[in-house]
Amino acid sequence: MAAVAIHQFAECITCHAWSPDQSMIAFCPNNNEVHIYKFFTDKWEKLHVLSKHDQIVSGIDWSRSSNKIVTVSHDRNSYVWTQEGSDWVPTLVILKLNRAALCVQWSPKENKFAVGSGAKSVCICYYEQENNWWISKVIRKRHESSVTSLAWHPNNIYLATTSTDGKCRVFSTFIKGVDKRGSQSSTSTDPKFGEQIAQLDLSSTWVFGVRWSASGKTLAYAGHNSMIYFVDEVESAPAAQNLALRDLPLRDVLFVSERTVIGVGFDCNPMIFAADETGLWSFVRFFDERKATPSTSKASQLSEALGKLYGQSKQGTSSDSVEPSKPRGGAHENCITCIVPLTKGRDGTIKRFSTSGLDGKIVVWDLENHFTIAK
Amino acid sequence: MANTLRLYLTCIRNTLEAAMCLQNFPCQEVERHNKPEVELKTSLELLLNPVLICRNEAEKCLIETSINSIRISMKVTICHLEVKQADELENILAKKFLRFLSMRAEAFQVLRRKPVQGYDISFLITNYHCEDMHKHKLIDFIVQFMEDIDKEISELKLSVNTRGRLVATEFLKQFI
Repeated sequence: MAAVAIHQFAECITCHAWSPDQSMIAFCPNNNEVHIYKFFTDKWEKLHVLSKHDQIVSGIDWSRSSNKIVTVSHDRNSYVWTQEGSDWVPTLVILKLNRAALCVQWSPKENKFAVGSGAKSVCICYYEQENNWWISKVIRKRHESSVTSLAWHPNNIYLATTSTDGKCRVFSTFIKGVDKRGSQSSTSTDPKFGEQIAQLDLSSTWVFGVRWSASGKTLAYAGHNSMIYFVDEVESAPAAQNLALRDLPLRDVLFVSERTVIGVGFDCNPMIFAADETGLWSFVRFFDERKATPSTSKASQLSEALGKLYGQSKQGTSSDSVEPSKPRGGAHENCITCIVPLTKGRDGTIKRFSTSGLDGKIVVWDLENHFTIAK
Repeated sequence: MANTLRLYLTCIRNTLEAAMCLQNFPCQEVERHNKPEVELKTSLELLLNPVLICRNEAEKCLIETSINSIRISMKVTICHLEVKQADELENILAKKFLRFLSMRAEAFQVLRRKPVQGYDISFLITNYHCEDMHKHKLIDFIVQFMEDIDKEISELKLSVNTRGRLVATEFLKQFI
């Protein structure tokens, strides 16, 4: 069994993030709150409830070195939470957005964070010491629709975004006074803030879940047409590979090594993709062994309601009907929306990751035994 | 006949299976709103191509999908009286029966209060329904509903006919 631990925290989880030492978890139970749980010897206990937002929280990210939590919500606001003593203190970040914020991520150096929004724009926020205030700079008029996901390049300058207009874009987020001149890669000379470095128009429909590999050489994202896209050398000479799936579309992807990607989505079961020596990507298999679950003959909530109006005699008539569809998945029972890396091995590959979904579970998966099987 | 119905329903089931991939998505046009995009149709890029599944001229099913909602509309009976004269009764029964159900839309959660123009009954499933309920059970419900509608109407028709015959017999008895 690949799933190490399954925790049912809530009815439904929109997103989650782990503390730097991975003893605590922050997640949004599909409302305006963020719950923080800590693991004590044998069970999880709720420590804090961060309730400052007034609409559903759509993104959480916990910085690794500075121990700050950033949350964004559909109410157009963002808060940076810092721990003071036992309490979490919020700082409002004025995003200058007029639509919902959809996703957030700390940059690798954690001096900036990026927010994607339904206002068809991306905010880059950084801290200004003299004013004791988070400043937001907006990249406007580049996206034709909502920004669904974003990912920082390891160089702390490039930012990849996916949008519901079907395009994946890479921007430079160089901010004077925050980034040093020498820190960007040598390939591009002087990218200004907001300059578009690449635009990848591979998908015909919405795209989600963009991620860079650890080295920043490869970019992967998923399309709603059940495709996954791998792009090498985005800055200089992009080389793309499309991979069509047999199953339902993906929502998020994660590089566990340079040549292995895990994809999660509407199929409720993580999928493994791997590249061979020539760099050709292919689908390996599902992560969780699919169990043959016996189809339940119990009527759903709705057919019960229907039965009440119909008179109960209708309940037994399904014997010659079309075969009822089977519930999906193993560990997860509903769409997986979020995948977060956990333990890293010595060679920089990820050994464990966690997923959360609309079924309210957080599942921790172990890769150790799987690499041997995959190869 | 039973066989074609099964094929029709299987087709609808498979289409729904693929189409019902919904997510929470806030409105792009109005601040702090969250509405089913398939109803608003303000941002064209958030809509997918609609699928029309027809069993015959009279029975068809339209599946419209957007990023956060899906609308399923069904046409159960034919309206051209001259084509199917005998089914006038069936038409009336279907109309009354579906109206009865639509008026009680709250009890079904996913039923739309008013059908889409040109159709007899419509369902609207949003991402919130998918969060609360199992997807496969939602699909089962829709398919079961379509299956039962046919049965229910023919049963109603039979009982109306039986009753008509009984009443007529009773009435004519006095002339013997």
